[in-house]
Amino acid sequence: MRTPILALLAVLSTAISPSAYGQGTVGGQPGAAVNAGGGGDYRSTTSENMADRLFDVNSDSVDMENGSMQWKGKTFNLGNSRMMRARFERYLAAPAPAQDTARYLALLARIEALLSPAAINERTWAPNQQEAFNLLFEAAKYEQDGESSLTLASQVRKVWEQRVEFRNMGVTHNQLEDLRRKQEGVVKNRGEQMEIANDERAQQSEKKGKGGAMLKSSAGTTELGYRVKDEQKTQAEIVANQARMTALALQAQVEFQSQIVQHLLARRYRHCILACAFYRVMFKSQNQNVRVGAKEVKEFFPISDYVPTLESLDGLCREAINDVAVGMRSVDDLYRQGEVYGAFERLQETYFLGEYEPIVQGYDPAKKRIMLLLWRDLRELQRVGDERDLANVEQYLNQVVAIAKDFPAAAVRSKVEAARSASNMQLLAARQAVLQKDMPKAEAAIERAAKIWPQNPAIQDFAKQAIDRQDVLAQKIPEFDQLYADGKRRDIFNRRDEFAVALIQDQDRLPKLKEVVAKIGEIEAILMQAGSLSGSNPYLAWDLLQRAREIDANDFNLARTTADIAPLVAEYARLQGQGTRYEKEGNDAAALTAWMAALDLNPVSEICNAAVKRLAGKVAGAMAPVAPPSNDPGTLEIPEVPTR
Amino acid sequence: MAKPNPLLIALGIPAAVLILLGVILMNRQGGKFANLPPFSPEAYRKDWATLQGNAYVFAAQVDRQLAYVEGAGRVLSVKPVDGANGTAAVPLRVPAELEVNFESGQRYRFKLRVRRDILEVEDLETF
Repeated sequence: MRTPILALLAVLSTAISPSAYGQGTVGGQPGAAVNAGGGGDYRSTTSENMADRLFDVNSDSVDMENGSMQWKGKTFNLGNSRMMRARFERYLAAPAPAQDTARYLALLARIEALLSPAAINERTWAPNQQEAFNLLFEAAKYEQDGESSLTLASQVRKVWEQRVEFRNMGVTHNQLEDLRRKQEGVVKNRGEQMEIANDERAQQSEKKGKGGAMLKSSAGTTELGYRVKDEQKTQAEIVANQARMTALALQAQVEFQSQIVQHLLARRYRHCILACAFYRVMFKSQNQNVRVGAKEVKEFFPISDYVPTLESLDGLCREAINDVAVGMRSVDDLYRQGEVYGAFERLQETYFLGEYEPIVQGYDPAKKRIMLLLWRDLRELQRVGDERDLANVEQYLNQVVAIAKDFPAAAVRSKVEAARSASNMQLLAARQAVLQKDMPKAEAAIERAAKIWPQNPAIQDFAKQAIDRQDVLAQKIPEFDQLYADGKRRDIFNRRDEFAVALIQDQDRLPKLKEVVAKIGEIEAILMQAGSLSGSNPYLAWDLLQRAREIDANDFNLARTTADIAPLVAEYARLQGQGTRYEKEGNDAAALTAWMAALDLNPVSEICNAAVKRLAGKVAGAMAPVAPPSNDPGTLEIPEVPTR
Repeated sequence: MAKPNPLLIALGIPAAVLILLGVILMNRQGGKFANLPPFSPEAYRKDWATLQGNAYVFAAQVDRQLAYVEGAGRVLSVKPVDGANGTAAVPLRVPAELEVNFESGQRYRFKLRVRRDILEVEDLETF
């Protein structure tokens, strides 16, 4: 049986097959095997196993795609596949027949018994036929019968009427034959009379000495001609009557056999058996061979010299009935064991083999209802699989598994994951191609990703990013240049993500952005550290801020934090400022003095210690200047003499 | 040998004692740099430029040696012993010519000269 899972697996296999990548083909029809261009076979083993199991010619199977059923290796055409699906769905949704199935079956069995070879003899031949005929109308009242018994009864009645007609034609034939014989006798008599008269006339002529031939008479010839014509006409009527009788007999056989084969092909096996029984009783033994539908019937039997007979049709129907009964027992047994999917598959096969069998029609509606839900979910699963809507496959898969725990979901999930991965890998390749500015390669990769998983959300994101990126490039680059030129590194840092997207391929600006982000990021870290230290050790916090000032003295956040902490370390800050200023002016000793004073306030200060060490070395190495080259013009002010 | 005049002895002994006391007192208060004005670290920090070229005496205790450059000199961190001058350390440059062993905690009276902004030690004595 070509079930939704098979089609789904095949579609997904197609989606991720290398041939789909390489050649850009969407894949074949659902269920079609997928062969790679390189000669490898990428069909799913699971799928194949299932296909082998389900399409084994020695077992029954249903092909939903083509609307046909395989049984005994041969195909029943069940009509349009859509109608076939609808019929099966209607069956699953239908309630059980209201009437008593057992009584109906008993009625059919009674008809068959009346017509059985054991019950038919010269005495019962007519009454049994009549009783069986009457019971057909009783059977037709049952819902399970579908009024097929009426059709059969009509056919039987027709044969009876044809038999009466045939009998009448036989009477006519006999009458014509009698007439013809009489006419033949008249013609013969007239001819003989004419011959005797002519002979007598010839003897009289010889006696008178005249030529005998000249004495012949034509009297009576005309009447003889008419008599011959009448006889010939009767003969023609006899031949025509015989032809009509033959045609009538053949027509009766053909029509009845057509009815039998029609019942068989319609899978109304019980009516086919009854029709065979009627036929057997109504027609003579030399007419028992099947003339109509012999070709179709022969297909059920793989024997070259097979001659179809009523018995073979009868046997075929009984075998089908038995198979249906076994199938329904399997369905019920699987269902009771919790294998709902297995039961569903068997029911599908059995339904199409014995759709009209009472045991099928009377199956438990509650169980059919569950299978109806499964059937609908399976159809949806197949639909989303066909559309490669992988996101929804998972949802319907879960619904199916919730109903049928024996559903082989792992194989489907595996294919879904493989398809997702393949699509995402193609997207990754597209991203890499974009970075390498290889746009044709990127487009091809995106196309492949979309073919594998058309609704992949990452594809839409990728497209959106590509569009946004163009806008960003158009707007962000001038903004970045302006901010960088203005030294507004904090602003760049705050919008670093936007600029990163815009400048990802800009070899000139990207290093600048990285530098800004690194510096402001370091300042941010220092500010956080200083903020946490400002309460317990403001001097240390101040030192940290000085380090941040070395990175970017113009940073707004740094200035704000500095302003917050400065009141706590006013003297310390003043001394450091003084030291820095003196050092810049080349007054190393004065700077050293300031830094040492600051160090007295914060003995653990790394900045102060470093400055003291640096300046002390310079002062120690300084030679005493010959003439003080003070930058400061000095002051003429005489210092105040300090008092002790 | 003539016997010394007892009056002279009586007047001389107190005078000698007074002289001795005066010398001791002088040593204690200014030593040999007593003629120099005392150094004010505060004034130096406030405006060292006004002190350029001046010489001062500065009584201080060696805190630590900040730097040493052979052949050039060293820089000492000293703290004033007089609390009136504060407790903040002051850097003194000691030229290499002054061959003195400095140890932390030693007290000296330094003769300083302000050369530009450098407090350079020209002479010193312990006390």
